[in-house]
This record gives sequence, structure tokens and C-alpha cells, in this order.
Amino acid sequence: MKDLRTVIAFTIKDMAKRKSFIISTLIILVLIVIGFNIPNIAKAIVGDNENAGETNLLIVDSTNLFEGTLQTINQMELGYNVQVANNEVSFDDIKGKIENKDIDQAMIIEQKEDGTYKIRYIVENMTQVAMVPEDLMNTINTLYTNLQISKLGLTPEQIASLSPNFEFTIEQTEEQEVSGNILVIMLLSIVLFYAIYFCAYQVSSSITTEKTSKIMETLVTSTSPRIIVLGKTIGIGIVGLIQICLIVGVALISAKVFLDPELLNSVLDMSKMTPYLAIMTIVYFILGYFAYALLYALTGSTVSKPEDIQSANTPVAILAIIGFYLSYFTMMNPTSELNQFAAIFPISSPFCMPFRIMMGIASNAEIILSIAVLVITILIIAQVAIKIYSNAILNYGTKMTFKDIVKVYRDKNN
Amino acid sequence: MGLKLENVSKKFVGKQAVDNISFEVDKPGVFGLLGTNGAGKTTTIRMLLGIIKKDTGEITWNGKKVERKSVNFGYLPEERGVYPKTKIYDQLMYFAKLKGMSQKEADMAIKKWAKVLKVEEYLPMLAEKLSKGNQQKIQFMTAIIHDPELIVLDEPFSGLDPVNSEILKNVIIDLVKEGKYIIMSSHQMASIEEFCTDILILNKGKTVLQGNLKEIKEGYKANRLELSTNKNIDEWIKEFNMEIEFSKNNEYSIKIDAEEKAHQLLKKLVTNHIEVDKFEIKKPTLNDIFIEKVGE
Repeated sequence: MKDLRTVIAFTIKDMAKRKSFIISTLIILVLIVIGFNIPNIAKAIVGDNENAGETNLLIVDSTNLFEGTLQTINQMELGYNVQVANNEVSFDDIKGKIENKDIDQAMIIEQKEDGTYKIRYIVENMTQVAMVPEDLMNTINTLYTNLQISKLGLTPEQIASLSPNFEFTIEQTEEQEVSGNILVIMLLSIVLFYAIYFCAYQVSSSITTEKTSKIMETLVTSTSPRIIVLGKTIGIGIVGLIQICLIVGVALISAKVFLDPELLNSVLDMSKMTPYLAIMTIVYFILGYFAYALLYALTGSTVSKPEDIQSANTPVAILAIIGFYLSYFTMMNPTSELNQFAAIFPISSPFCMPFRIMMGIASNAEIILSIAVLVITILIIAQVAIKIYSNAILNYGTKMTFKDIVKVYRDKNN
Repeated sequence: MGLKLENVSKKFVGKQAVDNISFEVDKPGVFGLLGTNGAGKTTTIRMLLGIIKKDTGEITWNGKKVERKSVNFGYLPEERGVYPKTKIYDQLMYFAKLKGMSQKEADMAIKKWAKVLKVEEYLPMLAEKLSKGNQQKIQFMTAIIHDPELIVLDEPFSGLDPVNSEILKNVIIDLVKEGKYIIMSSHQMASIEEFCTDILILNKGKTVLQGNLKEIKEGYKANRLELSTNKNIDEWIKEFNMEIEFSKNNEYSIKIDAEEKAHQLLKKLVTNHIEVDKFEIKKPTLNDIFIEKVGE
């Protein structure tokens, strides 16, 4: 146990002190802070006046068709600062006003020869506004309809019956209720996959480095291979978990400090971020990390040259990608049987189950089964990985083939 | 007591790496384990350190079976290795702790040995900044830091300059004085002759010679005459049917099959008023014995 603590402590210190680790972590944190500040940076560049974000719209109603009702648009919070002109204003005059930044856009209400009306919407450049905004069209139509209705001399009840204010709701036939923004969940799933994958990859790289630097022979006479594999895996996992917590923490704080709360709530339902979800995500991170890290320990111990790591690790990478995509694509239909399978299948469950929990569709039995399957898988991988590591670490030849690995596993050396 | 290997064998896929070897190191001193490349030295060392399991036989230390868990020997492997991106002090502390030392004990031992091996200034440096020779001294420190009773040194002098070789030799002499058991594997026969009391020569996994080095050498007849004269004596040497191994500036190394012949040659030279500065009848060196036993 003392040896295990020593290996863990050395691994943590060795990893956390590396310049490459410190610099890459700092760069990620700075990028996160910058990323959450993009709206503020954009605002700073565009200018920070009170009306920023509002469009100055000139509506030319020379025939006074709307009888002064157009000013009410300003109270509707549609993002328009409306000025109404009841006199004739030519296209050239409007062009001059747009060029001088007096207005952003304009609308000219014209009567055609047949008595109907045409509304021209004038913008500086159609690449920015390709079509007449729908909300504005609806508002103009409603204003005109209400104006005409008011002229019919109807009672308030009759007027109210013309605007029924139907309440629309949506319901589903399936029993399980899914909540949460699927796109955000998919994004978080990608983050979790990369966190697990890259932390686990470090284990392989660390073992091959020890073999390359020929320190292995000294190391195996100092402690047992089991302690080395477990100590290294736990040590790198702790550093990885601290790094992920740091990144997620900075991201959450940045989101809270720098983002508009309305924008944040529209993307991420913070009420779903419960301590239970956080604990379960950490549990799945740890278990997923252990499963993949031990597989990488196995492949890392079969090579002794840095240039062979990539090819030796390919089978594990393929397994991880299959697991990730199984989870990712079935998440589009989270109540499907395939997604339920992905949440229990050990190569995909770490990337899938936390999000089923987040969506509120994972039953307790499902969670227990998923964790049990993952733990049993980890124990089997650990047993195989430690045995192969013990027998293969002193092999300094060429990269071992699958046949060699099987032979090494059966070797009675340890 | 001490280290005892009895009928130890190890077979790898298709190859008998070590074939039924036995030896005993029963008193403090340096034991020489010799052999050509691939003779089975490293496999023997790995078995006695408990890194790999033997197929047959028994290995005991002070009467107890040697197992990986129970072994706490010191080991300087032939494959030199350090953590390149880690400070020297940190890696020495790491290995010292793995070998059961406390932080305080380890710190004291690191400082003591760094002073003896003249590497104090390198302790705060990354290992990759050190020369190969200094890295080797650091690895030697790793082998002895925990004050083990038995130390295995595989090619301890390879790659060291004469100054550092001398430092290491003095440390080994001191360790023997302290009562340590040392097993030394080396291709440098001069080093083995200098330190070892007992030797074992392996060839293709089998023991071809073993015993006390002095006794082994005494068992061999003298086979070389070293002469230094004031003039060329090639003709007289040929007259006695002797073979010149090497000659330069009237210094000769001559193969002999009997000491008597050498004395007769000396008599002839003196009779002919040749000045003889050096006359030495030599027994085979360990190098000669090694080549005789394993050379094909």
C-alpha cells in the first residue's frame, strides 16, 4: 500500500510539473475565458451604446394608411426603434440616411395603381438581411387588421372572440419523459469522451516512456508490476480529473460571469446540474477512464519505441470510437433500445449513461446494472493488463503481435 | 548462508537460456558472473532478483527462497535508464521510498552518496541534462541507496571515464569492506580480476568454469614469457621453437609450453651478453581462460 501511494504521488508530481501539461492546461483555460467573452468582445468592437442591438427602422407611410398606429411597434420589444414619416421620402433620401447611419433600415408603404398596397423593405446589403423579417410582417398585418376591426363598431367581447389566444401544448405517447437540450448533451458527451480518452492515452505513453528510457528494469526490482500499473493509472487519473474539474469549473464560472443569463438558460438548463448528476458523471469518468487506461497500459507495455505507440494503440482507439459513436448517435433517440444498450455496454456506457441521467430517463436498476457491468469489465481488463505488463515490460524487441501477446499472457513467469 | 543457486534452469520459447547452473556466494566479496553475449547472465541475474521465475531449481538468500516480493537487493542493470524529464533528487527519492526508506533516511542517504560519487551539483537538475557517465553514477546510487546486503552490478564500468571508474572502484572496495555481497557481470576481464574472488563462466546457458579465481589460475601452467632486452633477439627465440605473440622495440610477449624453456632462453641471452631488463613468466590471464572456455 505504501508503494502504491509512492507510485501515485510520483506520477502526479511528475505529470503536474511538466511544462507541456501546465502550458496546455493554461491555454485551454484562457481559450475558455475568451470563448465565453466573445459576445462582450463583439459588443466592445461594435460599440456599447444603449440602443446597440436595436435596429433603427424608418417607416414611410405617406398615405397614413396605419393612422398613427405604427408607433406602437416600439412598445412590442421586437428589437426595432421605429420612426414614422407620413410624408413622401424617396429611395435616394433613404439611401443617404442609411449611409449616414441615421437609420439602419427603412420600409416604404406604397399604394399600387389597382388600389392594393405594396411594402418595400430597404436594407444596406441583402447579404445581411436576405428577406423581410417574419415578425415584422406579422406585426404589420396584425396592426392593420386590428385597425380595420376597430372601425366596425364591435363590442369588446366581439373583438376578444376574434383573438382567441389558443394555448398550445405538446405531449408524447412514450412513457419516459426526456428533458434537456439534446444538442448541448451531445456536446457535453464529446467533452466527456475526449477527457476519458486523452487521460487514458497518457498511461500508454507513460509506460512506453519508461521502457524507452530503460528505467523499467530498475523499477521492477523496486516494486511489483501490479503496483506500477495501478499506481500509474490512479496517478494519471487524479491529474486528469483535477484538470477536467478545473476546465469545467472555469467554464461554469465564465458562463455565469460573462454570459447573458437569458442566453445561458436558453442553452443549458442549470436546474438539471444537480450534485447527483455531478457525482454520477465523476463516477463514470473514473470508471471509463480506468477501463480505457488499463487497456492502454496493456498496449503500452507491448512496445519499446515511441514510434510504435500509435499503431499499438490503434485497436483501443477503434474500440473507444465505436463506444463513443454508439452512444452519440443513439442519443438522438434517447428512448430507443439501442441507447439503453449503449448505456449498459461497457465500452459506451461511460459516454452515454451520465446523459441519460441528465435527461431523467435512466432508472436506478439501469444505473446499477451499467456500473456493475463496467466494474466487472475493469477487473477483467486489469487482470489481463497486469499479467501482460508483468511479462512484456522487459521485452525490448520489436512491437509485439497479437500472437506474441497471447503467448506472453500464457507465460508462467508471473 | 549468503546467496545460493541450485540446479537453476530457464527456458524461453525455443531456447534454453540457463541450463542447470549452481553456485554459492557464501561470504562478503565480489563474485564474477562471466559469459559472452547471450550466454544467460542477464537471465540468471533476473531470476536471482525475482524479476522472472525459474523453471527448475532453487534460489535462496540466507536460507530463504528468493521471491520478487521479498527481495530488496540493489541492482545496476546493463540497460542504463533514468527518467529524462525528472529531477535527479526526485527520482532518487522515489526509488529510495519504493525500497522502504523514509523521507528523512532517503534524504540523508542521497546527500551522502551524492558527495561520495561527486554528483551533488546535479541533484536539482533534470536527468536529461546529465552526461551518460553521470547518469550511470546516478543509477549506481539507485542500486545502493537503501544499503542492501546483496548488490548486483551488470557492467558497472562500461561508459565511464578513468576518473569516474576510479571513484566507482573505490566505492565497490568500501562496500566489500562493509561486508556486502556483490555479484558483478562484466566483459572487462581486468575489472573482474581486480575485484573478484570467485567466478563463474557461462556459455550458452551452461556453466563452463567456476570456482576461486586464484585457484583456477593456479591450475593453469605458465604460458607466456614477457621479455625486454637491449637488442633484437628474434633469432634466438626461433632457435628455441617459441612463438612470438607480440614484439615492439625489443619488448617481447612469447608463447611458452614449459617454464624450463624460458629459463634456457634466459641463460642463452646472458651467455651472449644480452642485457635483459625484464624477464617474467606469466600464467594465463582471465581473458585467456575466458577465450579458451567460450571461444569457438
